[in-house]
Amino acid sequence: MKRMLSLPYTFVLMNWAAVAGLYYFVTGKKDIWLSKKSAHKHNY
Amino acid sequence: METVFWLSFIFIVYVYFGYPALLGMLRMLAGRPVRKAYYEPTVSIVIAAHNERERIEKKLLNCLALDYPKRKLQIIIGLDGPTDGTEFVVWKYAKQGIEMSHSHEHHGKSSTLNRAMRRATGEIVVFADVRQTFDPAAIRELTANFADPQVGAASGELILMDESRGEAKSDVGLYWRYEKALRAMESRIHSVAGATGAIYAIRRELYQELPEETLIDDVMIPMRVVLAGKRTIFDPQAKAYDAVACCPLAEYGRKVRTLAGNYQLLTQLPQLLLPWRNPIFVQFISHKVGRLLVPYALITLLISNAFILHGIYALFFSLQSAWYIFATAGYVFSKRDVTAPVLIADESRRAA
Repeated sequence: MKRMLSLPYTFVLMNWAAVAGLYYFVTGKKDIWLSKKSAHKHNY
Repeated sequence: METVFWLSFIFIVYVYFGYPALLGMLRMLAGRPVRKAYYEPTVSIVIAAHNERERIEKKLLNCLALDYPKRKLQIIIGLDGPTDGTEFVVWKYAKQGIEMSHSHEHHGKSSTLNRAMRRATGEIVVFADVRQTFDPAAIRELTANFADPQVGAASGELILMDESRGEAKSDVGLYWRYEKALRAMESRIHSVAGATGAIYAIRRELYQELPEETLIDDVMIPMRVVLAGKRTIFDPQAKAYDAVACCPLAEYGRKVRTLAGNYQLLTQLPQLLLPWRNPIFVQFISHKVGRLLVPYALITLLISNAFILHGIYALFFSLQSAWYIFATAGYVFSKRDVTAPVLIADESRRAA
């Protein structure tokens, strides 16, 4: 059951990331670059 | 509306299924295997780091334990204004040959890489991140690809591990394996449209300084190599390991950054959109640009379908509705999974 819900959720979230990516790029936000909140932040 | 519906549908199906099928056919008809041969060129490993005090020592030990002659290996840590004492950890390893390119101010990753590259002397430069671990044979496997003079850059394989210490089977892991299968096919035909930031290498003479604030060096550098007329290949024998994201939401932040970087890349290297300049134009458009446009095609698919609810379209609308209801439920469940341990910890603290 969990897997059945997880697949569409992951798909939609990853596609939403493209919209958010455009927003961050257009608005010039750089906080995604150094985010401390994300558990899997870019380790730089 | 029917035209909009079908155009959206065909586009989405092409990006996720048609393009892999096309790659599969092209691989069989026009595959160009890499003439890999083991040799030992001089290698510089360049790692950019900001505040990595807790993780950098493990990475340094990992690099020092690589199966590659020490006299041919240069390890450079580019420090970008760390404030947590990362530099003191790196200094401890100076006697073992670790070099440090230290900026006291924070300038960003691209500036850090540019600065570190000025110290690099190896024929081949390997780029890596701090978090992931190299397989001991990774450098040997990666450099073997450069025996083929057509290869200008080589990307290794990042294996996402779960708590069972096996390759992750979660949806994030599944997505990553799909991505790697695409890259393997693209590589076989000509080049991949980007490398894995955790492990990729380039001939030093092909490196050009990165513009400041470049978000995705691991796509920018390999695509410049392709535009210079060389191949960027993917070698699954050169492995690096990382832990899979705990949940899709954790992967989301990384994905936003990557996709924002793809938009930035189109402004930094607009020639990628010109078929007569980009030797992997079809791959780039289908893989990178296609992924940027799919969300909008999904929206037009849903909206156009809402206006045509007769016959087969009613079934499509039901399936789409169910998909998004499941996705919403998945989000709710995912939030519950994330918050559960926090609640337990709070409870135990209160009890104590």
